[in-house]
Amino acid sequence: MFSILFSNQLEVMYPEIFLGLVAFGMLLLGRSVRNPAVYTYITMAALFISLILLFKFDMGTETLYGGAYLVNNFGLYFAVIMIISSLYVTYSAGATLKSNPESFFSLFLLVNVAMIIAAFSMNLIFIFIAFEGVSIGTYVMSAYGKSRRNLEAAAKYFFTGIIATGFILLGSSYYYLSTGTFNLESVSISKGPMLVALILLFVGFGFKLALFPLHQWAVDAYDGTSNPVSAFLSSGTKILAFLIILRVFIVGFQNFQGDVFDLFVIVSIITMTYGNLAALSEKNIKRMFAYSSIAQAGYLILVVAATSSTGATTFVFTVAIFTAMYYSLVYIFMKGGAFLSVSAVRKENVDIDDMSGIGVVSPAFAISLTILMLSLAGIPPTAGFFAKYYLFLALISSNLWWLAVIGILNSAISVFYYLRVIVVMFRKDGIQRDFDTSARVLAPLVLAAIISLVLSLFIFAYPQVSSLVTGLGVSI
Amino acid sequence: MFIVYIFILLLIMTLVSFVVKRAAHKIATVESVIILFLTAIYAYLRFYSYTGGMMSVASFPIDTSIGISFLVGVTPVSLALLFLTTVIMAMAIFVSGRESYDRRFYGLMMATEAGLYGLLISRNFLFFYVFWEAIIIPVFLLIALFGGKNREMASLKFFVYTQLGSVFLLLSILTLFSFYNTSYHQGFTLNMGKLLSTAFINSYITSAQPFWTDFILFGFFFAFLVKMPSFPLHSWLPDAYNSAPYPVTIVLSGAISLMGGYGFYAVIYPIAGAIGFMVAWIVLLLGIISLVYFGLVAMFQENMKKMMSYASAASMGFISISLGVGILSSGYNTYTSITGGVFQILAHGLIMGLIFSSLYIIKLNTGSESTLTVRGLFREMPIVSAFFLGGLMASLGLPGLAGFIAEASIVLSSYSTIGMIIFFVIFGMIITASYHIWAAQKSLNGPYNEFLGSIRDGTRGEIAALSLLFVLILALGIYPAIFYHMIFIYVKGGI
Repeated sequence: MFSILFSNQLEVMYPEIFLGLVAFGMLLLGRSVRNPAVYTYITMAALFISLILLFKFDMGTETLYGGAYLVNNFGLYFAVIMIISSLYVTYSAGATLKSNPESFFSLFLLVNVAMIIAAFSMNLIFIFIAFEGVSIGTYVMSAYGKSRRNLEAAAKYFFTGIIATGFILLGSSYYYLSTGTFNLESVSISKGPMLVALILLFVGFGFKLALFPLHQWAVDAYDGTSNPVSAFLSSGTKILAFLIILRVFIVGFQNFQGDVFDLFVIVSIITMTYGNLAALSEKNIKRMFAYSSIAQAGYLILVVAATSSTGATTFVFTVAIFTAMYYSLVYIFMKGGAFLSVSAVRKENVDIDDMSGIGVVSPAFAISLTILMLSLAGIPPTAGFFAKYYLFLALISSNLWWLAVIGILNSAISVFYYLRVIVVMFRKDGIQRDFDTSARVLAPLVLAAIISLVLSLFIFAYPQVSSLVTGLGVSI
Repeated sequence: MFIVYIFILLLIMTLVSFVVKRAAHKIATVESVIILFLTAIYAYLRFYSYTGGMMSVASFPIDTSIGISFLVGVTPVSLALLFLTTVIMAMAIFVSGRESYDRRFYGLMMATEAGLYGLLISRNFLFFYVFWEAIIIPVFLLIALFGGKNREMASLKFFVYTQLGSVFLLLSILTLFSFYNTSYHQGFTLNMGKLLSTAFINSYITSAQPFWTDFILFGFFFAFLVKMPSFPLHSWLPDAYNSAPYPVTIVLSGAISLMGGYGFYAVIYPIAGAIGFMVAWIVLLLGIISLVYFGLVAMFQENMKKMMSYASAASMGFISISLGVGILSSGYNTYTSITGGVFQILAHGLIMGLIFSSLYIIKLNTGSESTLTVRGLFREMPIVSAFFLGGLMASLGLPGLAGFIAEASIVLSSYSTIGMIIFFVIFGMIITASYHIWAAQKSLNGPYNEFLGSIRDGTRGEIAALSLLFVLILALGIYPAIFYHMIFIYVKGGI
């Protein structure tokens, strides 16, 4: 009777099952142990073990549940980097928690379960469920501080999130109506309902990625929640939304690439331009980072624009999807590290000017944040540059020179607000000295900075990583 | 390979400068002098044996499937500029000793040198671009951390402005890369020699892709003209030069300004076949306008640092002129013009190094750099004043000094192309001469401004460094063949 446990269908789910069990175990443990550090370490260990389990049971290629679940190295790559993004914020999250650590971390693990499922899903229902799992978990996580600001942010996030959920459901129904399946595969049926599905799904998933008309929640939510949670919201869940967008719009709509192209080009141009211009005039550092991550989302979806353009050859497709994989990995540390760095200032609403003088107090902090800012701005020799390099290579190779020019002008504008942070940090006059530069704040930041430099060696891995892109699920 | 070893050594030295806490100035000085000597020895060994082509070619494949490899090669053009870089950096680091800068300052200075070194030896476009951009970071930080008043705005302006230029450079590189594979079917490469080869450019870009030709050229020209800086794209220059601490101003005028010129001769000149008549004329006219306009602006400056920063930009106008003439004419006129242009970068860097170094010492001793305050310096600090005068004379193109050789080559070879327009070039040179002499007359000659009190001359070390630089300028003026010959052979052999 236990044979089902060891069957193929269930083996691939071991990491998820394991994380789920640990999550519930934690809730039980919460009755007796109150120390947040214990839960922090349990969470880290569990995530680490789930990584090992992923490598053990989810390597190789398998299609399960009638094509709804596609296990391959492409999905594995994204599952791994999403877990790494969780691991990255775990320590800081544990250090800032005040009460009920067990429920926070069990939710956190459940979010990770949903993320792993989403990484392998090729079915709109699967994706919907996983997506909701992540959303509901993060609603609670962002409300966790219980202060007015946290609750306000969470409420905004929650109410707009529900609307997005509705759009996804409706879009999925339209998709089903016109194709007869929830699976994402090559379909060529009536165009009308498909276009409706395209718009509805785009609104639903674009919400999570904070694309232009759907971005306002992100600014408020990132600003209102605690720094580790905003770091997670802007890195892990963003990458998840990005992966889903890649899956749905490149694989699911592969016979409607012209429409996908138009939609993504328009939205991406508006998103990055808006994000950059708004960030330019923003004084609050977290809101500035939030706007910058909106702009970054604009760059991310340029990948879809490149793959769906008429000039997309095999090479373009490979480079574009490689960019998506590489950018996601770099993005976690750039953006996560940036949000975590705000913890150094001991106050609620942190302005950029509040960073002034930290270069004198803690050079290590200032240098690390400098590297992250340069990486976000896409200046070599940081990894952020190489991510942008491949992105623009894909755009130029598919003859989208105008899109590349718009993108690169945006990236040049963005330099201004990223570098303003650096200049302020190294200010010498009128500085304050009350900064929290303990290891708790410094360690994740230094780690992110080192990784942002080391990842530029990722260009060595192009042959290996680019061989994974076929795993997206579309034949090229 | 030798050059790669020097580069690696330089990288290690940069790290050392950042890490070691004590005696930062001494360490950095020794390091930069070692690099200078090694580069000079390398250059000396190459003078006599040079017959053409690329030297010290070495390749370190990184990811050949997408054309990335660390390809190294040295041409006479880059060798001359390498020599200039090492001289200027050693000078800038040495003269900064009297102000107490810490290891961050010297670390960043060494990083700037490493970036320039990397740029000049790279023959792979990706690394060319990476170094091109990476140089801006330490310079930006140097201005932002150690600059004078208004340093925040000036450093941001400098970075954003030059960044705006370089992003277009990236797009041009990517376009060439893309066409090399899709039209020319020769696979993926970022090798500069291959992407800029005449066979590829002339038959697959210029004739087949008129739009993309303009796109590529726009990116290259925009990036290089911003860095130069040329007339309409210069507004970062006064802020950056003035807010930067003096040693960084020396680096900006002597070493950073060579980047634009290097781009002209290493990237644009090889694809001259793709450049139309109009574009060449525009570049040429921009050069003339720069020469005249910056000269006129410099004339009305009382602050000598400002005046000399405009003078620096004005003499970079000759580089645009030389490129324009080089493209428009043919045969010996082209060779002379291009060689003169490269020589101008070299001479300009050395001369500006001398001028700003002696001005720095004057500023340190008198506390001022304005012609209204600094007067009659010959009485109190005769030796530094003499070198300052020497720099000014070299800068205005006095025969016997390096600047003259370059300007003469360019002017002589340009007459057959631009005809009577040469009048404007001469006019620019007259303006240049006038404000140089003016500055010398006000600040050095005449009655001494007694309000300055009794001041010392430069220290023995400073005077030794200044005299070395002056001897170099003199040597290149009397016997220019040291570099001129080599560059000429190279240009004649086809870049």
